[in-house]
Amino acid sequence: MGWRLPLRSLWRNRRRTILSLAVIALGTAVSVFVLGFLENSRLQIQDSSVQEYGNIQVASPKLWTGTTDGYDYLIAASDAERVSALLAADPAYRGSTRQLQFPGLLGSGRETHVVRVTCVEPANGVLDFGDHAVAGRGLVTSDSAAAFVGRALAKRLSLSVGDPVMLTLTTANGAYNASPFTVVGIYQYSTEQFERQVIFVPLAFGQRLLNTAGVDRIVVSLDGIASTEPARARFTASLVGTGLSLEARTWDELSPFYRQLASYFSALFAFLSIVLSVLVFFIILQVLTLAFLERTREIGTLRALGTTRQEVFRLFFAESAWLAVIGSAVGLGLGVVLAGAFNTVGIQWLPPGTIDPVKLAARLGPTTLLVPLCVSLVATLLAALYPSVQASRLRVVDALRVE
Amino acid sequence: MGPGSQFCHVRGAKFLDAQRLTKTYRVGTEIVYALRDVNFAALQGDFVVINGPSGSGKTTFLNLMSVIDRPTSGEVFIESQATSTQSEGQLAYLRKTKIGLVFQSFNLIPVLSAAENVEYPLLLQRRPKAERQERVAALLAEVGLSDLARRRPNELSGGQRQRVAIARALVSGPMIVLADEPTANLDSKTGEAVMDLMRRLNEEHCVTFIVVTHDPAVSRYAGRRVRIHDGRLEEGEGDGVAASAA
Repeated sequence: MGWRLPLRSLWRNRRRTILSLAVIALGTAVSVFVLGFLENSRLQIQDSSVQEYGNIQVASPKLWTGTTDGYDYLIAASDAERVSALLAADPAYRGSTRQLQFPGLLGSGRETHVVRVTCVEPANGVLDFGDHAVAGRGLVTSDSAAAFVGRALAKRLSLSVGDPVMLTLTTANGAYNASPFTVVGIYQYSTEQFERQVIFVPLAFGQRLLNTAGVDRIVVSLDGIASTEPARARFTASLVGTGLSLEARTWDELSPFYRQLASYFSALFAFLSIVLSVLVFFIILQVLTLAFLERTREIGTLRALGTTRQEVFRLFFAESAWLAVIGSAVGLGLGVVLAGAFNTVGIQWLPPGTIDPVKLAARLGPTTLLVPLCVSLVATLLAALYPSVQASRLRVVDALRVE
Repeated sequence: MGPGSQFCHVRGAKFLDAQRLTKTYRVGTEIVYALRDVNFAALQGDFVVINGPSGSGKTTFLNLMSVIDRPTSGEVFIESQATSTQSEGQLAYLRKTKIGLVFQSFNLIPVLSAAENVEYPLLLQRRPKAERQERVAALLAEVGLSDLARRRPNELSGGQRQRVAIARALVSGPMIVLADEPTANLDSKTGEAVMDLMRRLNEEHCVTFIVVTHDPAVSRYAGRRVRIHDGRLEEGEGDGVAASAA
């Protein structure tokens, strides 16, 4: 009778049960879908951030804190060599590039534009953006005075592959420098701002332009995002042994946009979860309280037959537990179907600051399924507490008097 | 020998003893007496009919005897144990094991079949399944409802429902069955059949029956007749033992 009586009571009051199940299922399904959608967006931005920053960057803290005096944050070539070798020994290491970044003015003869020159080791597969080429090619090791520019910048300066451009900059020791070079390729990226601002040149060429042998960071690519934090801890420990004032920062620390967005998504989902659980809570509370009132006489009978208060509480709570389990499970299924249908339709939109439309999708995983499931279960069971306690506390004679 | 015979208790032993019971209710600023200084004792095997008009305190009396309510003053002893000091859990245990209840409106659990309703008290006692099945089948046979064991209460007539309720009251082998207006919702013929059944079960199982009713016709089944009026008991005809007006 432990499970039979609650289940039969649910079956007897089918309309009320269906209403309760619909509320719980709908709340769960909406949560699953929205969390899946937010998770997909977060993961897209995460991928793009890792593409942009690598998993970990090693540099002088001055580079990030902005307390620089000229280019005093540069890492000497020999030190960079030593550190690169150290990092390469890590088990999660997949590749790295020494990098040098500086501002410059890029002129096409007709127009100039402020750019961030990013000097990379060509064709090493880490942050050289070679696989993003939409025209021409990425940088190769034999390149010297070559540039790989963004699609938005190319459009703005009317550049094509093979066009000559002029880069003007201030060298590390404060002198003016200008150098002609050739556009060897045009890349595309997810944000227009990046395409417009960042140009890639070979590291050796960039060092010559800036008149330095140093680099400002070493960008490391790892075998997965999950490896980032453990690898950072190992890098930090290894760097202490070098005696160099270098620090390892992770991609999410370097990407304020990701951090803001991730925290915004978390807040959005928390808010939505709270709204939905409060809604589920009050509707279920209302439904169960009504059920409890309707069954006062039945409760009186059960108590008169010798059912203890705890047993009455368990009976009522078991009904809600069934509702919670069935409703949440149905909601989970509904959420998966909803997400699947949404992904199949393939709606696209153009996020602000991007050039290419992005496919909207809901990505479901253990978290996106378990969190709504738990929220629904907890909201329903919490809602069941009050009527169950009330049912168990009824005075038998009062309950039996109710018609 | 009926299926309840194994629970047949010693006829004539004092099971229930109520002493100087008073029950009052507060209505606004006024204190209303439902029962006044009532003494009552029931012996094993008694068939007591307590008769009285509406509002005379019948149900209040029965509620106190079945320990689902507590008196304002006085004491109910069950097997010489005072009940006023017992916890809710202990009183529930008494109801579960020693007291059977029959209600005016049958009070069957609507989602359970006739057999399951009868089985319920045994489940509360955590009796083994085989024993439960055997007891339920025997009791249903005894009240003549074997064929309707799987029916839900809403598929049974009033008389059939009351017979299920009687079977439920007897299934756990109680010392006493308290029936509150058991014939009030039945036509006279069905009412007679139900009373015949209770009387027979009383004789076969030697279970004490206390029936409260406003129906004078029920009194003819009484082994002992008690009248209740304005919250006071008056011993009537029969072989009454210990009823007294205060």
